[in-house]
Amino acid sequence: MTSIAFYPGCSASTTCTELGQSTRAVAARLDINLHTLHSASCTGSREVRAADPELFVTLNVRIIALAEAEGLDLMTICNTCTLNLLDAKRRVDTDAGLRERVNARLASEKLVYRGVARITHFLWYLLDDYGEAHLRQQITTPLTGQRVAAFYGCHIVRPPEHFGFVDSRNVRSIERLADILGCETIDYSGRTECCGFHCSAENETVPIKLSGRHIASAQDAGAQALVTPCPLCHTVLDTFQDDMATDLRRPLDMPVLHLPQLVGLALGIHRASLGLERHIVSVRRFVNGVKGGIR
Amino acid sequence: MHLDTKAHGPAIAGDASPATRADATVTLHIHRFDPTIDPVARFDTFVVPQVKDMRVIDALHYVYETLAIDIGYRWYCGTKKCGTCAVRVNGRETLACWEAAELEMRIEPLRHLPIVRDLCVDRQPVEDKLVALETWLVRKQPYQVFPEPIDINNAEMLRPTLDCISCLACYSACPVLDFNETIPFAGPAALVHLARVALDARDAGGRIATIVNEAHVHHCVSCYKCEEVCPAHIPIVSRAIEPLKQLAYTQSPETSRHASAFIDIIRRRGRIEPMLLVLKTQGLAALRRPRRAFRLIARGKVAPLAAFLRRPIAGIVNLRHYFDQKS
Repeated sequence: MTSIAFYPGCSASTTCTELGQSTRAVAARLDINLHTLHSASCTGSREVRAADPELFVTLNVRIIALAEAEGLDLMTICNTCTLNLLDAKRRVDTDAGLRERVNARLASEKLVYRGVARITHFLWYLLDDYGEAHLRQQITTPLTGQRVAAFYGCHIVRPPEHFGFVDSRNVRSIERLADILGCETIDYSGRTECCGFHCSAENETVPIKLSGRHIASAQDAGAQALVTPCPLCHTVLDTFQDDMATDLRRPLDMPVLHLPQLVGLALGIHRASLGLERHIVSVRRFVNGVKGGIR
Repeated sequence: MHLDTKAHGPAIAGDASPATRADATVTLHIHRFDPTIDPVARFDTFVVPQVKDMRVIDALHYVYETLAIDIGYRWYCGTKKCGTCAVRVNGRETLACWEAAELEMRIEPLRHLPIVRDLCVDRQPVEDKLVALETWLVRKQPYQVFPEPIDINNAEMLRPTLDCISCLACYSACPVLDFNETIPFAGPAALVHLARVALDARDAGGRIATIVNEAHVHHCVSCYKCEEVCPAHIPIVSRAIEPLKQLAYTQSPETSRHASAFIDIIRRRGRIEPMLLVLKTQGLAALRRPRRAFRLIARGKVAPLAAFLRRPIAGIVNLRHYFDQKS
């Protein structure tokens, strides 16, 4: 059994509890020991990083230090958390003065950032660490004939300094994972586009306008569901979909799956353990299409 | 480096040179549109000989010199300095003088700007925004000494914004500007210019209202599309837009209700409680959509009681210490 420090983020315990639930179910099935960091705080989303950059770095480096105290690498299930942790790590790794100041603050909790823990997202963990071949062996219910559209979101593919893409449209990880799970992926306008989540509290017209056209594009391309590695994208695509349909004056009705839910279906995990009934747009039709997966 | 980078390496657009043969060609599908005579735009296809180290602009020059003398495109320096030749190649903004020619290219004008002809856009809307935002240093006192000393830390903070060549690639890439009629937003290019003066310690412009109410900095979705296409590699989000947000938050917290509410909630609970965040940011307006609220509660996405009663994370007392310390 391999172990990894698990940073669930805020969404997995509030608006997207089904994400935390399905991640844990998949990890248990794959014999991955998730060591949940219970005293980890929010990474600050976009707000703290803009308003108080040094507090932002402190919060994130503290989370990494919590993982290092356990001697483990750190795994996330949210795009924005992933970017924040990578960004804070980059800042302290390239600024010795900042690193010293942050470590001085962390000393009050007897924490120290040493810079040894690697930060990864569950998507990358499955392909990189668990391994494609290994995962392929675990598939019991291939999602044959199902067509999904990958909605990557932004903070797992941009900015270029962190992810190395000259053109982020070249990302293929979800497509590769979907291939292992046995389902088809379709190409459409929204693969690496923005859902607009980070403006949703300020002005929800932004996410509604930004995302509606992408769901329509996926629908036109024949997708039966969207799949996303980010709970923030999920919140927009699922929760605001009604408003998008009204805005576009066309029906959408596009199920949106969290990445671990799609993996869980292919692993034959019972649907109740994946929290599939908690979505605003019903995923029933998609799940019932999984052969042998109707339980 | 994670899987995507390791497995594929950075993608190099237009890496066609190694295959160059004497008879090799490059195919261009060029956007053609003259608003004075054409009812709709069309794409004309041209096949041109490929040459070693060919750039997009070389292919356009060949088309102009031999196949279509009436083609409209703009360029000046040819060396990534003047910022006039930005176009979209296969859906991505780039400088024609810097991008390697691909074997097949769909070449379009920048988005979000009126088309003058073919690949030429009218930059006037952005120039108007720069004037409206007063993107020049405002001085209200005479210089104390001359030459005036410049603070090295402040200069370092401004440095990335000085690299802007005003090519407007970012302005074209920004998805929020797709809806500029309903969502007011200055766009990345104008915000870079605004940051250049607003963050300057010598500026006396009093710019908070401009940043928040005219440039609408809080309508940036942080998608980093601007950074991805910037030929000057300016970290537009982290070195221009976020510092503007920081300025607004520190000088006038009431202009940044979302950030203020966010920080307050994490300070008290350690993590975000989305329902409280929305209530604190939007006030009573959050209750505008009862149907959505009902469905969110019915599916367990929002639990009103738990939102108020949920216990803070373990170690919250230690965490609050970081919020209360002045860095």
